[in-house]
Amino acid sequence: MEAVFFYLFAAATLLCGFLVIANPVSRNPVTSAMFLVLTIVSLAGLFVLLHAFFLAAVQILVYAGAVMVLFLFVIMLLDLQAEERRSFKKLALAGGGLAVVVIALLARAAVRESPLGTAAPPMVEGSPRALGKLLFTEYLLPFEILSVLLLVAMVGVILLSRKEAK
Amino acid sequence: MNDVVLMGLEVAVLVTGLAVLLLDLWITPDQRRLLGFGAIATLGVIFSASFAYLPDGTQYAFGGMYALDEFALYFKRFFLIAGMFVLLLSVGTSNAEEGGQGEYLSLSLFALAGMMFCASAANLALLFVSLELVTVTFYVLVGFQRRRLASLEAAIKYLIIGALSSAFLVYGIALIYGATGTLDFRQLASLPAAVMESRILWLGALFLFVGLGFKMAAVPFQIWAPDVYQGAPPSTTAFLAVGSKAAGFVLLLRVLHQTLPVLETRWLHLLMGIAGLSIAYGVLCAIPQRSLKRLLGYSSIANAGYLLIGVATLSAAGATAALYYLAGYLYTVLAAFIVIAVVLQHTGRDDFDGLAGLHQRSPLLAAGLTFAMVSLAGIPPLAGFFGKFLVLKAALAAGAEHPGFYWLLGIAIVGVVISLYYYFGVVRAVYWGAPGEQPAGPIRVEWPLQVALYLAMVAILWLGVMPNQITNLAELAVKSLGLR
Repeated sequence: MEAVFFYLFAAATLLCGFLVIANPVSRNPVTSAMFLVLTIVSLAGLFVLLHAFFLAAVQILVYAGAVMVLFLFVIMLLDLQAEERRSFKKLALAGGGLAVVVIALLARAAVRESPLGTAAPPMVEGSPRALGKLLFTEYLLPFEILSVLLLVAMVGVILLSRKEAK
Repeated sequence: MNDVVLMGLEVAVLVTGLAVLLLDLWITPDQRRLLGFGAIATLGVIFSASFAYLPDGTQYAFGGMYALDEFALYFKRFFLIAGMFVLLLSVGTSNAEEGGQGEYLSLSLFALAGMMFCASAANLALLFVSLELVTVTFYVLVGFQRRRLASLEAAIKYLIIGALSSAFLVYGIALIYGATGTLDFRQLASLPAAVMESRILWLGALFLFVGLGFKMAAVPFQIWAPDVYQGAPPSTTAFLAVGSKAAGFVLLLRVLHQTLPVLETRWLHLLMGIAGLSIAYGVLCAIPQRSLKRLLGYSSIANAGYLLIGVATLSAAGATAALYYLAGYLYTVLAAFIVIAVVLQHTGRDDFDGLAGLHQRSPLLAAGLTFAMVSLAGIPPLAGFFGKFLVLKAALAAGAEHPGFYWLLGIAIVGVVISLYYYFGVVRAVYWGAPGEQPAGPIRVEWPLQVALYLAMVAILWLGVMPNQITNLAELAVKSLGLR
C-alpha cells in the first residue's frame, strides 16, 4: 500500500515539476505556478509516507501557501506577456536534456552499486518537539547564522526595491 | 575554551556589521566616511586579535560543529585582510556608488563573517548555511548599483546560477547524509571502510564539489564569472574574486583532506582535468577581451586552475603552494581593482582605450596597475611569480608518481606564456596607448585609496621577495589539516 502511494506521489512530483518548466499546452506563468503548487503538495505526500508529518504540514503551509501566493502576486503584477511568446531554443533544450540524462545515469550507477540495508526503515516521527530540540541544541549555530542570512535578505530586498532618495 | 570565545572573531565581525547597520540610521551623510573608517579599524583590531588564538591542535565548539585550527585561522586572516581592503575601496569610491553606503559596509561585513564561518565549518549543515550567507549577500552586493542595467543583469545571472549550484550543494549533502547518516566532519572521517566505498556517498560528494566549484569559478562552473565581474561594482568584484573564491578553496581542502580522505584518490583525475580545463579556458578566452574587468574575470578562471593544480597534487607542498598563491592573488587583484574603480569613476569605462594615457594622468595608478598585471603574469620578483613557481614545483614533484602532472605542467606553462600577451596588453595600453578625444586632466586619487594601493603594492613586492613568512604560516596551516 505504501509502495503504491510512493510511486503515485513520486510520479506526480516528477510530472508536475516537468510541467512547471516546460508545459506543451500553456506558456502562461500562472499555469506554471499552479503546477508548482501541485509539485509541492506531492512532495508533502512523500514526507507523510516517511512519517515526517510536521515537515509535510510546513511544506504545505509555507511553500504551497505563503510562498506561492507571493509568487502569484508577483506574476500577476508584472503581467509577463513576453514570457508567453518566448520559444525554446534548440540548443538550450538539448543541453538541459543532456544534463538530465547524465545525472540520471550517475544516480542509477550510484544506486545500483550501493546495496540496500537489510534492516527495516526506522520509524522517525518528525514531531515539532524533536525538530525544535535539534534546532536549539545540535544545530544552534547554523540556526543562528540563518537569522543573519534572513537579515541580509531583508536589507537586500529593501535596498533593491526602495524608491529613489530625494 | 568557551564556545563563544572560540568563535570570537566571527562574532566580532557580525557585531560590527550590526553596529554599522544601526549607526547608519543616526549619522549625517558627512559622517558616513567616519563610519567606514571605524569599521575598517575594528577589522584591524579583530585581525590582530586573531594572533591571540593559539590553537593546540584542533579545537571544537558547538558540539563539533565549528573547528578552529591553524588552517582556519590562516583563512580567517586572509578574509579579514580582504575585507579591510574592500571596505577601504568602498569608502574611497563612495560618491560613485548610489546611496546606501552604510548598508554596503554592513552587507560586506556579513559576507565576511560568512566566509570566516566557512573556514571553520566542521559540519555539512554549517558548511551549507555559511556558504549561503556568502552567496545571498553577494546577490545583493552585485546588484547594488541598481540604476545601472549591467549591475542588475549581473545580479540576475549570479542569482540564477548561484541558486542552481546551491541546489546541487544541498542535494549532495542530502545524499551524503543518506549514505552515512551523519553530517559531522569528524564522524564522516571515521566511517568504516565499507561505508566509504558507497557510490551514493561519492555521488553526494561530487554534487558538493559542483557547489564549491561554482564559488571557485572553475570550469565547467565558470559561466557566470565574466559577466558578473564586469557588471558588479568594482569593490564587489574584488571581494568576489578574492573572498568568494577562497571560501570555495578552504572548504574543498578541508573536505578533501580531513573529512573524506577516501576522495583523494577518487578525485585525482577529476581535479587534474578541471585544473587543466580551467587554465586553458581562462587563458584562451581572455585573449580577445577589451574590458579590464572582463579580462580579470577570465583571469580569475585561469587562476582557479592554477590553484587546483596545487590541490590536485594532494601533497603538503601543493596545498602550501595553493595557500601562498591565494595570498599573492589577494593583493594583486585588490591592487588591480583599486585602479579600475578609480578609472571607472573618472572615465566611466573600463576598456583598454579608457586606460590610454593613464601614466600621465596618474603615475600612481599606472604603477599600481602595472604591478598587478606583472604579478598576475608571473614575472619575478613579484608575488604572482613565486605562487606559480611553488605550484609548478609541487606539480613536478607529483609527476614522479603520476605522469599526468607533466601534461598539466605543460598546459600551465603554455598558459603563463599566453597570459603574458594580454597582461602586457594592459600595460601597453597604460603607457603607450594613444589617448583619444577624452579629457586628459590628471586624476586625483583619494587618500584612502592611495593608502590601500601603496599597501597592496608593498605587499605584492614583499610577498615575492620574502615569501618565507607566508609559506611558514601556510605550512603550519596545512600541517593542522593533517597533510604530510
